[in-house]
Amino acid sequence: MWMFWAAWLSSCLTVTVAVDRGNFKTCDQSAFCKRQRAMTPGQSPFRALLDTLELSDSRLTLQLINDNNKVRLLLELYRLQGNMTRVKINELKPLKPRYEVPDILVTDPPTEPLSVVSRDENGVVLSLGAEACRLIVSAQPFRLDIMEGPQVLLSLNSRGLLMFEHLRPRKDTWRYPSFTFLFFQAPDEENAKEDESGMWDETFKSHTDSKPNGPSSIGLDFSLPGVEHVYGIPEHADDLKLKTTDGGDPYRLYNLDVFQYELYNPMALYGAVPVLLSHSPQRTMGIFWLNAAETWVDISSNTAGKTVFGKMLDYVQGASETPQTDVRWMSESGIIDVFIMLGPKPADVFSQYASLTGTQSFPPLSALGYHQCRWNYNDQEDVRAVDAGLDEHDIPYDFIWLDIEHTDGKRYFTWDSSKFSQPREMLQGLMDKKRKMVAIVDPHIKVDSGYKIHNEIRAKDFYIKNKDGADYEGWCWPGSAGYPDFTRPDMRAWWASMFAYDQYEGSMENLYTWNDMNEPSVFNGPEVTMHKDAIHQGAWEHRDVHNLYGFYVQMATAEGLIQRSGGVERPFVLTRAFFAGSQRLGAVWTGDNAAEWGHLKISIPMCLSLGLVGISFCGADVGGFFKAPSTELLVRWYQTGAYQPFFRAHAHVDTPRREPWLFGPENTAVIREAIRQRYGLLPYWYQLFYHAHRTGQPIMRPLWVEYPEDAATFTMDDQFLLGRDLLVHPVTEEGARGVTAYLPGRGEVWYDIHTFQKHNGAQNLYIPVTISSIPVFQRGGSIIPRKLRIRRSTSCMENDPYTLFVALSPQRTAVGELYIDDGHTFAYKENKFIHRQLTFANNTLISRFVDLIFSFLLSSPCV
Amino acid sequence: MVLFKEVLLPKCNESGGSSGYLPLALIMQYHIVVAVAICSAVFVDSRKIRGISLAYRKFYKEKKTFLCLDGSKIIPFDQVNDDYCDCLDGSDEPGTAACLNGRFYCTNLGFRPCYIQSSRVNDGICDCCDGSDEHDKRTRCPNTCRNLGQQERAALEAEMRAVDDGMHLKRQLIKEGVSMWQEKQNQLKDLQRILSGLQTKLEAHRKRKLEADAHQAKVMGVLKSPGDGAGGKTAARIFGQLDINKDGSLTVDEVQAGVVNLQDDRSLTEEEVTALLGGPGPADLFRFQQTLWRSLQAAKKVKIKADLRGDLGPPNEGPATRAAPSAARQGEANLKEMEEALETTRAEIGNLEKVLSTDYGSSREFLYLQGQCFQLVVYEYTYSLCPFSHVTQKSSTGAEVSLGKWRYWAGPQEHPYSRMEFEDGAPCWQGPPRTTLVTLTCGTETALKRVREPTKCQYIMELWTPSACEQQREARRRGVHSEL
Repeated sequence: MWMFWAAWLSSCLTVTVAVDRGNFKTCDQSAFCKRQRAMTPGQSPFRALLDTLELSDSRLTLQLINDNNKVRLLLELYRLQGNMTRVKINELKPLKPRYEVPDILVTDPPTEPLSVVSRDENGVVLSLGAEACRLIVSAQPFRLDIMEGPQVLLSLNSRGLLMFEHLRPRKDTWRYPSFTFLFFQAPDEENAKEDESGMWDETFKSHTDSKPNGPSSIGLDFSLPGVEHVYGIPEHADDLKLKTTDGGDPYRLYNLDVFQYELYNPMALYGAVPVLLSHSPQRTMGIFWLNAAETWVDISSNTAGKTVFGKMLDYVQGASETPQTDVRWMSESGIIDVFIMLGPKPADVFSQYASLTGTQSFPPLSALGYHQCRWNYNDQEDVRAVDAGLDEHDIPYDFIWLDIEHTDGKRYFTWDSSKFSQPREMLQGLMDKKRKMVAIVDPHIKVDSGYKIHNEIRAKDFYIKNKDGADYEGWCWPGSAGYPDFTRPDMRAWWASMFAYDQYEGSMENLYTWNDMNEPSVFNGPEVTMHKDAIHQGAWEHRDVHNLYGFYVQMATAEGLIQRSGGVERPFVLTRAFFAGSQRLGAVWTGDNAAEWGHLKISIPMCLSLGLVGISFCGADVGGFFKAPSTELLVRWYQTGAYQPFFRAHAHVDTPRREPWLFGPENTAVIREAIRQRYGLLPYWYQLFYHAHRTGQPIMRPLWVEYPEDAATFTMDDQFLLGRDLLVHPVTEEGARGVTAYLPGRGEVWYDIHTFQKHNGAQNLYIPVTISSIPVFQRGGSIIPRKLRIRRSTSCMENDPYTLFVALSPQRTAVGELYIDDGHTFAYKENKFIHRQLTFANNTLISRFVDLIFSFLLSSPCV
Repeated sequence: MVLFKEVLLPKCNESGGSSGYLPLALIMQYHIVVAVAICSAVFVDSRKIRGISLAYRKFYKEKKTFLCLDGSKIIPFDQVNDDYCDCLDGSDEPGTAACLNGRFYCTNLGFRPCYIQSSRVNDGICDCCDGSDEHDKRTRCPNTCRNLGQQERAALEAEMRAVDDGMHLKRQLIKEGVSMWQEKQNQLKDLQRILSGLQTKLEAHRKRKLEADAHQAKVMGVLKSPGDGAGGKTAARIFGQLDINKDGSLTVDEVQAGVVNLQDDRSLTEEEVTALLGGPGPADLFRFQQTLWRSLQAAKKVKIKADLRGDLGPPNEGPATRAAPSAARQGEANLKEMEEALETTRAEIGNLEKVLSTDYGSSREFLYLQGQCFQLVVYEYTYSLCPFSHVTQKSSTGAEVSLGKWRYWAGPQEHPYSRMEFEDGAPCWQGPPRTTLVTLTCGTETALKRVREPTKCQYIMELWTPSACEQQREARRRGVHSEL
């Protein structure tokens, strides 16, 4: 859903008529980012007060002092199970509590004993379990180094960029003479800085952020010796491998509704996952910066060895030409709470991160089918006609979607009384065809005393408040709208209850939900979102919780869908905004893209990046949301989308119709074939989702995840793996006559899944293509289950036989699995499923029962 | 070799797609091995002939072997309908979903037999009305053929009656169209006559006004050149002389009466006169000035008859001196009135000519729609379709928007008069101008039945009219009653 700009006259008389880069802040325009960045690498003013060190079984605390202003911080170190270290830094005595992000961690991460190996006036050496694994705390200047044997894996504050703006009373009564109270405090050396603009208020365009708590930003640097490749921190429309940000803006994490986003830049988009992965042939690691405020990430690369590690490390480094990547995180508020995931293999990092924030939700099988969407299918007759059209052209699909126009005046949970007067009849019609529907439910609620949802929220006082304590109101699709405070558990519980069949009139069990605009989008707000000084429950500012909002909206919605079925059925909820942990709740899509080749291409790195940070159920609008795709682009997009986890065609209301049969019989046939390939492979997709759900391993994977030592794969993002066994190199170039795919793995073989032609691994393979080509390869040594009877929807194929495609390795063996359950309930949790391990050797196929116990946490130590 | 030809049978729903596009080849090469787990199916006795039409039964006679209908393969007969695809053409599995390109024959006793894609066999959805496609017993399908048959027969009969009625109405409309066309032609002629009358009168008025002016000037004592009188007004005067019946236009006869050959005073032939007047038909003053008058002035070929020339004296002395100013004023008012009437008539003629130049179908059967508008309320909008003119949409809040102006008939070659295209309506916000496509459907009444906007600002309307009814093909008539 894009947002259009009504000529909206706010009280400050702004009229916004165009949307462009200028509507969104650069680092320079974000006061805290500017202040943070003004601090350059050098000697850190922080000193660890070793005499304050306290070590309990699993936790070490230590005070840090900023020698410039004598403010003390409290450092907490934890050794977590599964080869992770948690570093928390807060003010020792904050003026008021600083926000700590709740609800994202699935559990209080289990710890393991931490012990002091040695200690002197310069620092402390702690053991992280295995002999060679050490955490070194250096006192002056304060820094942390994680070592494995002689190797430094990662250092914190090695460039001295730890910055912690302590909360302070406001000393500027003179600025506002009418205020007669406030504090009188002896001036200190920070006083001069108090006048720095943007500390106590900040204006962007016509919006002023009142900042009653003053400056509160935090920042910390991480050095990664030996690392040249870093990934993650979605969502950005950029390459898979993160670029250095020297001389430009940092990557920004701040959930925003960006109209017609640009490609290849670090601007913030709809979602934010503050997780960065580092990778080298030797090791893969992760940094999870648990902070929900506006965050910027600087990445630079230089040569390691310029820093001095202290006498304990002296013997470590000889020649110092190791490449190094430095990462600097900066957030506007909250505390420093970092999880360092030490790998060492990519799969370990995924497991580690999954142990913290959970795994991909296990969607109903139908959600992995094809989704037919458009803003908007106009009325019930339109829905019926599109359904019939797909049948007529023998194109399978599982879900048809309704965008905002289906509601009564953008009042969610309602239906337009004339266009959708009989929603149950419509849903029953779909159910008779074993199909489903998704209707949109956005979190902005029309301010209208005739609207039940609004009245109840107001009566329960569930709306977010503005800085003056009244209900926050912003402009969105329905006009003036309130925004429920989804950070409140009671609000979420109430919201969930609204999905009950007797509350949500016209709903049925085959109606699912789509949460859009949940950044939240506020058309007349600063940067098209909510004012940071809006107030949530517990007096937290929106500033503190911003990036969590969308997560909570999806959480409450998914909970509603579970509850309405009495906890039996798996939910399916699509969200545009997301945060770390959103993988537990459903699917995400890459927002309002455009019908351009570049957008097709970028869908691959965008979904790969999300997969690396746990969110596997990702897709881009097939065809591109804005503008009308050329027929070739549409066909290529279907072919690409058929091999991406979330497969939905969607289109803007102003674009011409583009249902798959509207482009001539030849193109219909090619699109149909792409969709049918998807349906044929659904048993494999489902199995991948099951694994993602159980283990947190991504579904769509960059090649380096499976070939971590093959440097040729490290920047590759025009092809990808699905699980381990399928390699996809979609055609994303206009007029392509061929593509060059890289088949990894020395000594391995790959089979073209269409022709069964065999190719050797570790080569660039030129593949001539026609408009119907989708280059996909199956790894030799794998067994992939498919269903070859392609029918109208997934549930029509429920009882069909499986066909196993056994691709032999050069050793003439193959392994694979088959996972089958009822496809839509939680019964699999009670082990109601069939899970067979398949082995082919000596010309015999053997099927074995798979052990149910998955080792979720790694027991391996640091190594 | 037996060819598996497409039999001309209807699809189960009229919109059933073709089923012959799927590549079947699943030939495993190199080191790919395929193992298929087959779900056991409960076979009933008749399973061997399941999904086969009567006409094809002969290929499925119980024998030891079965020859795939494309002749590609011979398989043991046991493998027919065993839920495993053997034949490339899918012919060994007419009764199961095993072959991707297979088709299943719904006998549908009591209704129409038809083929469905084999992928719709045992998928849990009842497709054949006799329920035969769901034979795995997982889904219970009631037999609805009898009902459907009755319904369809009733519907078809109603439709046929409607078409017959429609055809009847259409014939009337064609007849009406003929007289309407004639009427319009007559109307046009009348208007043209009125126009020329007006032109003459106007000319006379102009003349009179000029005379009045001149007279006034004379009376006011500003007469300057007593000999003046002919000058620029000569054309009008000669026209007046030639126009014997004073009807404001010159006929051939009138010209022949007044104009002769320059050389030999010979009377002019009709052709010559027509040429001199620049075309057939009576010429008004304007045309006279442009054509014959120029020839007369040039004095190359023709001249005014000698006996007429004498009459070309100064205009008659008219009204009394005292009345002169008021006569001039009066003349002015009349002139204006006349000019306006002339303009109106011209415009009417223009409109009528436009109307008459429009294509109203091969027998002008759509002429009756001309000048009419049809309305339909859809949700909050009132749509108005005025064929051969324009389409509008009026919202309940009152704003009226143009959805297009009449462009042309846009039907396919075989039915050119089945669609009307209206273009260049009010532009959409940030988009192109609105357009409307009107489909004409046979009906016994003329009414706007449906309006849709599948893509923003592209409207599709359905207009019912008897004129869209076509003579029914006999085959269709027979089809209803056969196969029952």
